[in-house]
Amino acid sequence: MSSVTNVQPTAEPPLRLVLTSLLRADFVVFVKNRRTLIISILLPLFLLVTTNSSKALQHFGGALYVIGLAIAYGMAATSIMGYALTVARDREKGVFQRLRVTPAPTWTIMASRLGMQVIANLIIALVIVIVGTRLHHISLSAGQYGLVLLVAILGGAVFLSLGQALVGLVKSADTINAAGRLILIALILLASLGQSGALGSAWESIARWSPVGTVMTLFAGVLNLSAWSHHDSLTLAVCVAYIVVFAGIGIRWFQWDAR
Amino acid sequence: MTEEMPRSSYTTENRANANLVRDTVRVIRGEQTKTYVVAEEHDDGSLLLTPAMPEQAPAERNLGDRGSALADRAEPVEGQRHEPSIILAVSDLSVSYGAKKAVVDVTLEILRGEIFGLLGPNGAGKTSTLSAIEGLVKPKAGTVLLDGIDIRRHPAQAKAKMGVQLQATSFQSQLAIKQIVQLYAGLYGSKLSDHEITEGLKAIGLEGEATKPFKQLSGGQQQRLSLYIAVVHEPVLLLLDEPTAGLDPQSRRQLWTRIEHLRQQGGSILLTTHSMEEAQAVCDRVAIIDNGTVLTTETPLDLIEKHKDDPRVRAVAHGEVTLEDVFIGLTGSEIRE
Repeated sequence: MSSVTNVQPTAEPPLRLVLTSLLRADFVVFVKNRRTLIISILLPLFLLVTTNSSKALQHFGGALYVIGLAIAYGMAATSIMGYALTVARDREKGVFQRLRVTPAPTWTIMASRLGMQVIANLIIALVIVIVGTRLHHISLSAGQYGLVLLVAILGGAVFLSLGQALVGLVKSADTINAAGRLILIALILLASLGQSGALGSAWESIARWSPVGTVMTLFAGVLNLSAWSHHDSLTLAVCVAYIVVFAGIGIRWFQWDAR
Repeated sequence: MTEEMPRSSYTTENRANANLVRDTVRVIRGEQTKTYVVAEEHDDGSLLLTPAMPEQAPAERNLGDRGSALADRAEPVEGQRHEPSIILAVSDLSVSYGAKKAVVDVTLEILRGEIFGLLGPNGAGKTSTLSAIEGLVKPKAGTVLLDGIDIRRHPAQAKAKMGVQLQATSFQSQLAIKQIVQLYAGLYGSKLSDHEITEGLKAIGLEGEATKPFKQLSGGQQQRLSLYIAVVHEPVLLLLDEPTAGLDPQSRRQLWTRIEHLRQQGGSILLTTHSMEEAQAVCDRVAIIDNGTVLTTETPLDLIEKHKDDPRVRAVAHGEVTLEDVFIGLTGSEIRE
């Protein structure tokens, strides 16, 4: 028999201080890993420049779609290869275990990391939209820039949830590295070739409703709001569905320990 | 460990032999005097007592000149009235990984100010037990109370009272030492100024390393930093998983000095180690665990005394029986993976 009774808990660290500490640390990591972000911007910028011919633009469905595609590529690269791989590596090294023995709620650890990734997605979207619109002589209102940022958060969430699903289903960082590259290449090829109709109508349809295809359509939609259609609304719903499904898988099967 | 003294054994007759000193009670039975802390006082006059620190602490016998500091812990301290002397109570703890039972019905109690060693061969269940206490794994059954707080019901509050040094410590490789300290202090609710961090690092001999990443530190420096971070919030219980593994003798000695210092400040320490010499020299009490089950819990000297004539122990002993002989005798000589 033990005399130790279940007494009322004492004070726990203030949530604000916990979140501030995590965000500050993750921001330092984010700044030190800026090369990853730069690479994630360079690939879509290369796409923008190389598709700047009328034939190429026609091939992809117009300048707005090319800009949308470029943003989707950038966000997919940083979310799948950046976020998922970093989480997997930190998990293997035991960084999460060390954080989890502190009083910080586990959701704050992930929320802080996702917060930094959202910032990365916003930077990618803004840079590409600014370069893309200048390249294609498109002018956007302040409201449209706001919508671009909003869609960057939503579209980024599609790829972040995909990255979360990957890191939830696969434990090894090496396997995630290999699988991530494959998924990224598959998504790029699917959107590039499928969307153009080069692979036939069935693949065109699959490409349109793929994660890259839907995010690309959403960006094209907000860049030309006057042409917003029922198809764009449906695309928005599909994006939300992707987020729910991938995040559900990623959270359900995520393990903090790689062993 | 705790005794609910039946009314018949602790009423008028026993009160005559008992001195009530603030919230502690000294009970005289024959020639033996035992000190208890009053945990609960019932309406019918009966008392729920928990043993206070032993009048002659085991570590006092083992560690010579530390004795006076340890003996002081048995005395009642103003401002600590009605605090139970048990800081960690683990009851019937079971941990499973799929079909594998790593920990089976483990029960442990660690006293305030005690250094408690959890000994066992590889795969015995030491780290799993610690992980359940730390909240890293969800136990299949059992309870863990830290200073009266249920770790499963109130994990954040319990973790706020606990300092942890894992077997392999890893921090985000992009962070500098100073940033790591700042992060973990914040996670424990302490906002340290630059000056405080510098002073803290100076105290552990890392003042010149503040801007270096963790991986650039030597093994001993990493260990010192890990320990510093583990106690940055002044926990009541410090959990150390094989703290001296891979350290040179100087770093080991320095680590034990720091651990002893923490204990003298009133903290309790639960550690796992493969070094029986260290356990014998440093721990007040040790538990030997094997196949997920606690085989025995004693002071190192009592353990040796109790098992010195055991044929299994005699078979492995060379001369005077040591804690290592008892350990190998009880857990077997075969090498564990």
